[in-house]
Amino acid sequence: MKIDKVLVSILRKRLKAITNEMSIALEKTTRSPILCEARDFVTGLYDRNGKMLEQTENLPILAFSLAPVCEYIVNYFRDEIYPGDVIFHNDVFSMGNQNNDVAVYKPIFYKDELVGWAACKGHQADIGGCVQGGYNPNATEVWQEALRIPPVKVYEKGKLRKDVWNLIFANIRLKIVEEDMKAEIGSCVVGERELLKLIDRYGVDVFEAHKEYLFDSTQKMMENEIRTIPNGVYYGEATGYYDGRNEGSSYTIRVKITVEDTKITFDYSDTDPQTPGFVNGTFTSSASATILTFLQMINPDIPHNDGMVRPINIIIPEGTVLNAKFPAATTYGNHLCPNNADAIMRALSPVIPDRVTAEWDELLCSLTTGIDPRKNEPYVDIGFMGLKGGSGAIKGCDGYDHIGMIDASGGVLDQDYEMFEHQTPHLLLKHEYWTDSGGAGQWRGGVGVITKFIIGSDNTKVVTFGDGDVEPAFGAHGGKPGTLNKIELTYPDGKVYKCKSKDLIENVPKGTIYYQEAGGGGGWGHPYKRDINAVLYDVRNGFVSIEKAKEDYGVVINPETLEVDFEQTMKIRNAKS
Amino acid sequence: MGYKIGIDVGGTFTDFLLTTPDGTNEIYKVLSTPDDPSIATMKGISEMADKRGLSTPDFLKQVDVIVHGTTVTTNATLTYTGVKTGLLTTEGVIDALEMRRGIREEQYNNRYKNAKPVVERYLRLPVKERIDWSGNVITPLDENQAKEQIEKFKREDVKAVAICFMHSYANDSHEKRVAELVKESLPNSYISVSSELLPSVRFYDRVSTTCLNAYVGPILERYLKALIKKLSDNDFEGILLIMASNGGVVSPENAMKRAAITLLSGPAGGPVAGTFYANAQNYNNCLIVDMGGTSFDASVVKDNKPTTTTTGDINRLRIALPMLNVVTIGAGGGSIGWIDEGGLLRMGPQSAGSKPGPVCYDLGGEEPTCTDADLILGYLDPDYFAGGRIKLNKPKAEKAIMEKIAKPLKYDLYEAAAGMYNVINVNMAAAVREVAVKEGVDPRDLPMIVAGGAGPNHACMIARELEIPVMIVPRESSILCAAGMLMSDLKHDFVQSYVTRMDMADVKKFKNYFVQMKEEGAKLLKSEGIPENNMKFIYQLDLRYVRQYHEVTIEVEEEDIFNADWDSIAKKFHPQHNRLFGYSLEDEGTPIEIINLRLIAVGQTDKPKFLKMEYKGESPENAFKNTRKVFLPVQQKFEEVNVFDALKLEFGNRIEGPAILEQDNTTTFVTPEYNVLVDMYGNYTIYLKDREEEVRKRIVNN
Repeated sequence: MKIDKVLVSILRKRLKAITNEMSIALEKTTRSPILCEARDFVTGLYDRNGKMLEQTENLPILAFSLAPVCEYIVNYFRDEIYPGDVIFHNDVFSMGNQNNDVAVYKPIFYKDELVGWAACKGHQADIGGCVQGGYNPNATEVWQEALRIPPVKVYEKGKLRKDVWNLIFANIRLKIVEEDMKAEIGSCVVGERELLKLIDRYGVDVFEAHKEYLFDSTQKMMENEIRTIPNGVYYGEATGYYDGRNEGSSYTIRVKITVEDTKITFDYSDTDPQTPGFVNGTFTSSASATILTFLQMINPDIPHNDGMVRPINIIIPEGTVLNAKFPAATTYGNHLCPNNADAIMRALSPVIPDRVTAEWDELLCSLTTGIDPRKNEPYVDIGFMGLKGGSGAIKGCDGYDHIGMIDASGGVLDQDYEMFEHQTPHLLLKHEYWTDSGGAGQWRGGVGVITKFIIGSDNTKVVTFGDGDVEPAFGAHGGKPGTLNKIELTYPDGKVYKCKSKDLIENVPKGTIYYQEAGGGGGWGHPYKRDINAVLYDVRNGFVSIEKAKEDYGVVINPETLEVDFEQTMKIRNAKS
Repeated sequence: MGYKIGIDVGGTFTDFLLTTPDGTNEIYKVLSTPDDPSIATMKGISEMADKRGLSTPDFLKQVDVIVHGTTVTTNATLTYTGVKTGLLTTEGVIDALEMRRGIREEQYNNRYKNAKPVVERYLRLPVKERIDWSGNVITPLDENQAKEQIEKFKREDVKAVAICFMHSYANDSHEKRVAELVKESLPNSYISVSSELLPSVRFYDRVSTTCLNAYVGPILERYLKALIKKLSDNDFEGILLIMASNGGVVSPENAMKRAAITLLSGPAGGPVAGTFYANAQNYNNCLIVDMGGTSFDASVVKDNKPTTTTTGDINRLRIALPMLNVVTIGAGGGSIGWIDEGGLLRMGPQSAGSKPGPVCYDLGGEEPTCTDADLILGYLDPDYFAGGRIKLNKPKAEKAIMEKIAKPLKYDLYEAAAGMYNVINVNMAAAVREVAVKEGVDPRDLPMIVAGGAGPNHACMIARELEIPVMIVPRESSILCAAGMLMSDLKHDFVQSYVTRMDMADVKKFKNYFVQMKEEGAKLLKSEGIPENNMKFIYQLDLRYVRQYHEVTIEVEEEDIFNADWDSIAKKFHPQHNRLFGYSLEDEGTPIEIINLRLIAVGQTDKPKFLKMEYKGESPENAFKNTRKVFLPVQQKFEEVNVFDALKLEFGNRIEGPAILEQDNTTTFVTPEYNVLVDMYGNYTIYLKDREEEVRKRIVNN
């Protein structure tokens, strides 16, 4: 068939418009704040074989697990896929990424021929298991964490399977999950309707041929990107601390990256074995982390379809912390992304220095739940505003202040302060940039934040999960590290409790002060090379203190006039650099 | 009754619509003067005077109303040339403005910088004070400290001060007191107080809006004062009104006090005018598209009202004042075509603008643009662009498209130009789809009003992409925004947050808020010369089910408000929620929560009259000009097509597509899938051939 290249361009744009439309539909119809406020979901279209056509990736860590599951489903049901089917899936042992990330798949038929799939996946507020919300640091196997949903048809040939539906929702605590799953189905219906319109206009054969051309041209783009990385074998590793069960424990991710012309392989064979608790990844959550990290090192304009992932080969042996063996607990798996990203960045930073950032602040998150005494109603709050530290700097650009973990890359929003005080009984005392937290460098690491609030309910439960309280974000090419994460509770009697990075603290009384430091990212390049005016700007605006300006950047600033003492500055800079 | 003038200052041209007492109108276009936009404004007015053989003062004496849309605040924000602004805010949260809730819009781009705040951190000063969620003072205002901070502003020579404290919508006493202190120490500064501008919950939205207001306030003040002086020096004694982003107009005095209401007023006239043209054919709902030189705007009208949003952005900075919901993308006549790394053709968002402009303008442009492609495909006449005032250089355009697009794609010239035309149309269709989806309408059900210099040339293919059956191209399509300004009412938005479960609301408090808003609205309208019987008040509530995050704005009857008739209000809310989100929780008995109380005070103005034409029958032969070879995008071939002088077409004239309708400032291309019927105001209705009967019924037999 003759390929009409303009039609390929149009196809690309239309597919993106459709997945965006699916995303808007989902955002507007869900009720859980994790979905409609924080946008912890993705939507996508896949071809008849389950290959990625296009996606809208609000939270990238979920994004690259939809296609593998789609392929799994195609093979699982084979010739028993019918028009009107709707399939649920969350099972981490059949390519799912996290138990709480529950997906809907809807096959798309054009005149009785399977032509593609619409799918979406969102972080559901509850999915059964021991602890509401899913984060259970005490879990050692998957059944303590969640209801497993391997591919299951909730609709077949357009008919609701009431028994199956009820079985699923009988095992989930919150009613809104049922509503939000209906919203996910609705989003897939939108995708199906729009893809059918497209195919109806051009015909199945034209669609298929041009889709393949789009994949090929995207692959070519990706290969050209890989070609700019020198051939070779590169090693990187990163260590995470505390597996949630054994004090002083740690786990190291080791990656061997092989670049051969237009192919890149990420081999994690030397990574540490899985942990006894829930600090374990699944293949797709780990591979998703690999892909999203690599995507930040290439042209951000590349289309997201099967052609993009073809040149990327990922090897993660079963039994490692990145790909735990059945029936391990794995809810923490998405949060191994920062460690995984660090390993990759360490490996590639020396090779493509201008495309790799210094390290980002790692995630350290908290969740508070209790009864709001003002309304006598339960509340749950995920501390989005407190967790968002700074990103690592990159050559030519400072890190992004208060962006948060790399697996969301700025896709998740803070609570609004006033809504926070309406929706929880807490009183916010402080949420501001943290002076001197960004790693010094020619380009400064993004600064973190300090968050402080008074807990307003008795018997409050505080859950923490994350890392970054042992090793700060590293600097690159002479840049300095960022700062550590910390969560601390000061009880009304003055007693101070420093939370572990994976912790469950019960019976926290009203009046306790919650204090959190989210660290800054690492700096890039020697700080003495930083533009003096940039240092002055940072000092004037309190991102860097006068003391640190001198100590780290060699810039002497008069505290009275806020003017640079050039003579002193040059003296220091020339002597040491 | 005298003349009315609508003036829309755009990036390239300043557009004017002059309406006369007998119902005829005239279109004027003058090159904009960005350094002082009032120069172009006065030039347009003097052209009108010249045409009548009058001096400017003699002409202006006969002008009743001038409605002016200005982008001075927009430009000051986009280019960060507002005034030096300080912020006084609650201790502990000085960075909310800059953090923007921690978003990075481009997730995979590590060189994507945060939006620069309009108030730098060293000028965001904390004040010791605190009010809680219910309006109780838990830390009294430390006046001495506030005074110290104001002294710092004095030393820094700050020109505008924004004041925004936590929960000030529930208790404005601290903000009010600090505003007094600022006035005492800095009597010449512009003061923007959050509880006056936007007393609604959500701190980031409020602090961002308040700071933007301060940042551009003095700029608008300076501009409007100068304009008023120029007009009064020229004996203008009529009423000057300023277009606001909400699709209404306000007096210059009120615009200066609330400068932020003009920040996105540029495209706001379009939807207002679109409503008028749709109404003329008895449509209550429509889509409006406007394709100019650099950008493309799409919006939706529902139930005769342009849809609004309170989550608008300018330069990635939030403005939470109500404004028309317009989706804007970088697609226009100047959009540049290019080949990406994967070898695929792309259009925009970069634009050649007006300088150097498209290659065919022959002003030094080298990158092939949409206009160049339109020229090669025969949609534009090289000798009749802008009525022949700009001669287009076709060979240059051909060469650029050949070199930069055709060769890399291994296409011939026409395939390349057609590709550019198609790709940009798909981009624009995606924007229309986006706004339609957000507003919950299906584009296939609505007529599309087409505006902008380049819009009518592309409309058929956008419509085809979205399966839109009917389009209306107004005679004034090239200056639609200016026309919209003359059709706008005076409009003031009030909001007051009152967060409570509806069944637990304090009825007295609830009613009082509305009484206050209504009194204030009436006062404002009175100051703008609106008699009481032309005042209208619209009551709205932002409601949601308990524990939801997104609230829904519903319109409520006045008596339901003052009777606090919760049942009647709930009855309106459930179906509205169902319509928007596909479900309601009426049966479950889920309680409803109030978030905001809203009131819109409307002052109805005299609308210009548009002359109704007499029915002149089907034949368009009086308007026939000639024929030329034009590329048909669906059939993918050139064909000889009839060209008509659009202004000579009359009510009832019917044209079979394919056809070209030419006007001085715009060209309409009708593809073979569509026909055209002219309505009684001389507007061109373009419809799919199988819709003939229905369209004829609406337009002719009405």
